[in-house]
Amino acid sequence: MDAATLSSVLQGGIVLGALYALMATGLSLVWTTLGIFNFAHGAFIALGAYIAWQFSSVDAWGLPLFPAILLTLAVMFAVGALMYFLLVKPFERRADVVLISVITTLAASAILENGLLLIWGPRSKQIPSLGSGEVALGQISLATSEIILLALVLAILLGLGLFLRYARPGRIMRAVSQNREAAELLGLNVPLYFAIAFGLSAATAGLAGVFVGTIRFMNPEMGTEPLMKALIVVIFGGVARFSSPLYAAFIIGMLEAFSIYVLGLYWAPAVLFITMIVVLLLKPEGLFGNHQRTL
Amino acid sequence: MRYDPPLHKTQGLVPLLIALAALIAYPFVFEATYFRHVIILAFVFAIVATSWDLSLGYGGLFNFAHVGLFAVGIYTYSILAKTLGFSPWLSILAGGGTAALVALLISLPVLRLDGIYVILVTIALSQLIYFIVISWSDVTGGTSGMVTLPTLKIGDYRLSKDGRIGYYFVGLGLLVANLAFLYLLTRSRLGRAIVALRDNKYYAIARGVSEARTRALTLMASAVFTGMAGAFYAAYLRVASPDAFGIGFLTVLLSILLVGGTGTIWGPVIAAFVISVLSEWLAGFGAWQNIIIASAIILVVVFYPGGLWAAVQELREAVDALRTSLLARWRRREVRAREDRLNAKERFIETRHGLIAIADTGDKGKPALLFLHGNSACKEAFYKQFHAFRDMYRVISFDFPGHGVSSNGDPETAYNIAAYAEIAEAVLEDSNVADVRVIGWSLGGYVGLELAARANVEVQALAIAGTPPLNQVPIDFGRGYNPDSHLVLASKQYFSRQEASDFGNSATAPVSEDSAFLHRNLRRTDGRARLYMIGKLGIIDWPRQMRMLSQGKFPFALLSGSDDPFLNHDYIARLRYGNLWRGIPQDIPGGKHAPFFNKPDEFNMRLLAFLHDAERDRGDEKENTREIDREIDRDPGLGH
Repeated sequence: MDAATLSSVLQGGIVLGALYALMATGLSLVWTTLGIFNFAHGAFIALGAYIAWQFSSVDAWGLPLFPAILLTLAVMFAVGALMYFLLVKPFERRADVVLISVITTLAASAILENGLLLIWGPRSKQIPSLGSGEVALGQISLATSEIILLALVLAILLGLGLFLRYARPGRIMRAVSQNREAAELLGLNVPLYFAIAFGLSAATAGLAGVFVGTIRFMNPEMGTEPLMKALIVVIFGGVARFSSPLYAAFIIGMLEAFSIYVLGLYWAPAVLFITMIVVLLLKPEGLFGNHQRTL
Repeated sequence: MRYDPPLHKTQGLVPLLIALAALIAYPFVFEATYFRHVIILAFVFAIVATSWDLSLGYGGLFNFAHVGLFAVGIYTYSILAKTLGFSPWLSILAGGGTAALVALLISLPVLRLDGIYVILVTIALSQLIYFIVISWSDVTGGTSGMVTLPTLKIGDYRLSKDGRIGYYFVGLGLLVANLAFLYLLTRSRLGRAIVALRDNKYYAIARGVSEARTRALTLMASAVFTGMAGAFYAAYLRVASPDAFGIGFLTVLLSILLVGGTGTIWGPVIAAFVISVLSEWLAGFGAWQNIIIASAIILVVVFYPGGLWAAVQELREAVDALRTSLLARWRRREVRAREDRLNAKERFIETRHGLIAIADTGDKGKPALLFLHGNSACKEAFYKQFHAFRDMYRVISFDFPGHGVSSNGDPETAYNIAAYAEIAEAVLEDSNVADVRVIGWSLGGYVGLELAARANVEVQALAIAGTPPLNQVPIDFGRGYNPDSHLVLASKQYFSRQEASDFGNSATAPVSEDSAFLHRNLRRTDGRARLYMIGKLGIIDWPRQMRMLSQGKFPFALLSGSDDPFLNHDYIARLRYGNLWRGIPQDIPGGKHAPFFNKPDEFNMRLLAFLHDAERDRGDEKENTREIDREIDRDPGLGH
């Protein structure tokens, strides 16, 4: 492996890692606050991409890209909150909420994906690129779009992290996730904050979808694979801290980039799933986890 | 103890045989090949869904690798039958074997995990199988799959001939074998261990259920027929493609399982046919097909968590309630026969819990006796006492709601011991009876105890037959009764003919000219009365009854049969009574659960003696009370 290949593999790994970090953060946000897994997260990714396309594409409403992304985030937030009230809240108090929410979110995912197919049709689409041209850094040249993507992801994750750590709603969300009963006793409106968590999760998924849509062609099932990757990342890193899926995302991104290089496109996912199973077996709480789940 | 008779003794047998006969006759009656194809697919779905239910519904294992096991069956068949040239029939069996083997591998990580992690690891494993299949393209054909797989043949006859009739019967045979396997398994020791682990893991482990072995066997057992169904599916469609892993297939299976109802065998079978037909019918609507199926899943989970099977049960309950209610209404016209049997007037009163039939000899001057009948019986059970006691006493009895010719009540409120006691109060009030001697039999014994404990009417004496008084429910239930008897039927909602006669024989008397009317009455009883009465034992303040008995405020007699098949006589004798007639339980020699019926003379003699003694005691007690009053007058401190 020469230096140029290494750098391009590394570069691919970093971009993948950033995308996975965004997806996994959204997934773990819901898991840590509500204790359930949202299997519609992949469909959220696809939905976000299609909504952004609708706002930004010259074939549709033709807004500039960045306002379009902001509008997409707002819509996705609303979709996520709505989904919480429709599909999770009714079962919250049932003992088998974990299984039921898997079932309802899987069903929601089927509804969303087929809805996308009905509304936007099966033809592949693409969102305009985030930027054009390349930036040379010594010997390595990076695409501007990738730099923008990286910067945006890191900024947003940093913002989300600060929000959860210092902002009042963020602190309340952490409180709610740590001890729901105590939070309720303090008079906090728990369902509202659960809805906010779901909305934020959907918004980050949508943003990930936008980014995926600028890199690859979009189709209604485009979220399935990222969902699995996000799952692997969350399992791998655990959800002990807000930051643990971030490290895990970059490790998994690198692992994937290198396995694709070494084993080929087809065997790389198998390596990732084996990694996930091994981690689940040896350390179910994740590599950076302790037994407690909290934001 | 759960009552669980073998299939041929339940009422399920006849509908099952009818359904099987219909499925066997179907291809000879209808020629349409396309619909036959849909039904063959429904067989496959039914097998996979019911097998999945074994681990997901019965075992409570969140196993989401089931679709992967199905695909393992498909590819086992494809590789063995096509690439390696094995016999297709053997390849189908081998499909079950490899799927079970893979399930054993899956069980290894599952054993270490719990809850959501099981879902995650099984999804990961199923994805792993998927990626192995599409990556290992030399063997599996990769994303393009394998085509022109060998077809099934018997001799030279290809099963696809004659409109696939051969495949139809192989599929049906596989389904029947699968159902028989699951049915026997769920009723076996292993099946009970599976359910026990789901319901209370730590208790089950403490009772000696091996978690690891049971979980592994659960997954393997649920894989065997899934793998065979996959192999059959491949042999039938003659293609193997990785689409089988798709979310669409998973959604259809999940909807079959949920719409049918988890934790049952027959629900998913019914649902497999409904959903297959529905989904074929919806296939013309493109993307709407999946949207509608997914919405159906959500709607079922939100509004009807029990699924189709629960709907079938509700329908059955409604039909049975209508039947018993109409039967009671019809039998009300036979008032003459009942009045002749009891030699007493029958009248009806409207109570909070419905229309209640009362039999009353009506001599207002005589002291009143109230007889309370047992579970699934009626007031006429006491006809021998009506005749024996009418000269000296006013004899009253009535039918509980849902029994005899009283109307059916609201199961939530009317079918419990407290409601029966409340009705007894209403009956006494309607009869203008102020103080009463109560004789309660079995369930009626508890009603009598509750009536006395409520203290709204003055109970001057209480005799119970076939009733162990209870202090802690349900623990004392296990102590007071003999579990080997037909007692388990006392809470069963629907009786088959055999069960009705078993229960009637044990609870009253074997069928004879004398007891035929009791057996005839038994089938009128609203099944919900049995179910809800037992279910609502918890609403009774049992310790209050026991305190009352140990305080001994009124004479109390135990007049059980010595050969009562339901009772644990030692338990009854050990309890503390404050004012027990003759100090010990007075067992009627040779008496069964209804000693007043099969040993009427001995019973009546004792009852009469008890009533006399009670009368005398009350006289003494009045003097006692006067003495105590005098004591209190002398020393005011005693009053506190």
